[in-house]
Amino acid sequence: EEEDDSITIKGVRISGRPLYLDMQATTPVDPRVLDAMLPFYLSRYGNPHSRTHLYGWESDAAVEEARARVARLIGADPREIFFTSGATECNNIAVKGVMHFYRDRRRHVITTQTEHKCVLDSCRYLQQEGFEVTYLPVRPDGLIDVAQLADAIRPDTGLVSVMAVNNEIGVVQPLEEIGRICREKGVPFHTDAAQALGKIPIDVNQMGIGLMSLSAHKIYGPKGVGALYLRRRPRIRVEPQMSGGGQERGIRSGTVPTPIVVGFGAACEIAAKEMDYDERRVSALQQRLLDGIRSKVDDVVINGSMEHRYAGNLNLSFAYVEGESLLMGLKEVAVSSGSACTSASLEPSYVLRALGVDEDMAHTSIRFGIGRFTTEEEVDRATELTVHQVLKLREMSPLYEMAKAGIDIKSIQWSQH
Amino acid sequence: KPSFPKARFLLQPFIARKASMAAAGPAKTEVLSLFRAFLRTARQFSDYNIREYTRRRAADAFRENRALADAPAAAAAFADGKQQLEVAKRQVLVYSLYAPKAKSVVEMKIQ
Repeated sequence: EEEDDSITIKGVRISGRPLYLDMQATTPVDPRVLDAMLPFYLSRYGNPHSRTHLYGWESDAAVEEARARVARLIGADPREIFFTSGATECNNIAVKGVMHFYRDRRRHVITTQTEHKCVLDSCRYLQQEGFEVTYLPVRPDGLIDVAQLADAIRPDTGLVSVMAVNNEIGVVQPLEEIGRICREKGVPFHTDAAQALGKIPIDVNQMGIGLMSLSAHKIYGPKGVGALYLRRRPRIRVEPQMSGGGQERGIRSGTVPTPIVVGFGAACEIAAKEMDYDERRVSALQQRLLDGIRSKVDDVVINGSMEHRYAGNLNLSFAYVEGESLLMGLKEVAVSSGSACTSASLEPSYVLRALGVDEDMAHTSIRFGIGRFTTEEEVDRATELTVHQVLKLREMSPLYEMAKAGIDIKSIQWSQH
Repeated sequence: KPSFPKARFLLQPFIARKASMAAAGPAKTEVLSLFRAFLRTARQFSDYNIREYTRRRAADAFRENRALADAPAAAAAFADGKQQLEVAKRQVLVYSLYAPKAKSVVEMKIQ
């Protein structure tokens, strides 16, 4: 019975499909979302920009319905929603597009050190063009100092970009305070809400948000689609990144992909209904995971603030254990160490470095992502496997032995051979 | 020609009665039957996570809506439930067509 069902990949054999605890990387498509999308792959395959026949009209109606659903989830007007290929594209349009449009009068951007790579890379691109960028540091709990932000704003600041929920550590920034300051000083406030949409309540008017990046595949929707929220009053203008036929009011040219846009709309509608239920469940599961691990293993550090956190993201560092070897031993649990975008390099995560986490603790971090479909059984099994692996590695670790003997690891003079 | 507000005022008692008849809440047997149908359908999902979610979500939703006092709200919830059941039935089929050979590790015996 083991032979047929086991999977062999990259030289490793596992008995079945791993438990999925990597919800920040991506989420499974909700069956209700798939149900909404399928007709548009089967019979209603028209191009929404075809104005002359039923296929175009029904496709366009579906896109507008999806637009309204996305808008409703964030308290916006449907005319303020523009569909894109995902949050990365939205971040590019927001950062580069805004600054390019106002390039004569605004030359300064403020962002944080823990932003997603696409925001940081867009800022670096702007720097090469001659703009100035301030990268705000974060406190050890991952939150920015709002007073520091207010001080950093200059008369020529064109954009403040602070992500709502961090993808690596799950910390929630004080959006209302930031929005208030930006509104007072007349600076557009952009937030990357890819991880926040549908998980924490967002109201663009209450939070003073001017631009917002949204992603479908983080809220149980399909991959390949996202949306940019662009405020109409006061109007925020952007220079489009995609030239073409002027679709999406000239902001983003290209055929709007009806099936996945419909999926995004359905995912937003479901998220609006299920937000409270999911949040209660996910918080309880996070507590269960944390208590389970801490009861058996000591020297576990949580990266990021516990109070200002989205419950589904738990980033833990296990002292005296190496991250890669821990992950290799956890092949039956799908988790991640650091974020998918930075895992190609051997460097520890820049987010953890910005928090002031020591190199050795940064290397040993594991991110557990809990979501709508995670069960108690999966959490218990993940706890069991993690505890088992950590204890096994610590038993082999000379550093752990020395630490238990009371030796201060940092004071050791390692000899050269 | 009668003005519209006057006509509506005259028709008021008829409209009110018709509304209450249409919005009569579902009978207890109907609700139980729908709930059992949900559990049956949930069991048929080949995917462990979707199966567990459907079962759990249906149970929690029915439990929560049991407290619905007024008939129109109960009728609306019942209609929504029937629609959701149709979605679930279709998706059971779709998921079974593409079910991977290997099951989730959670479903396998502990080594």
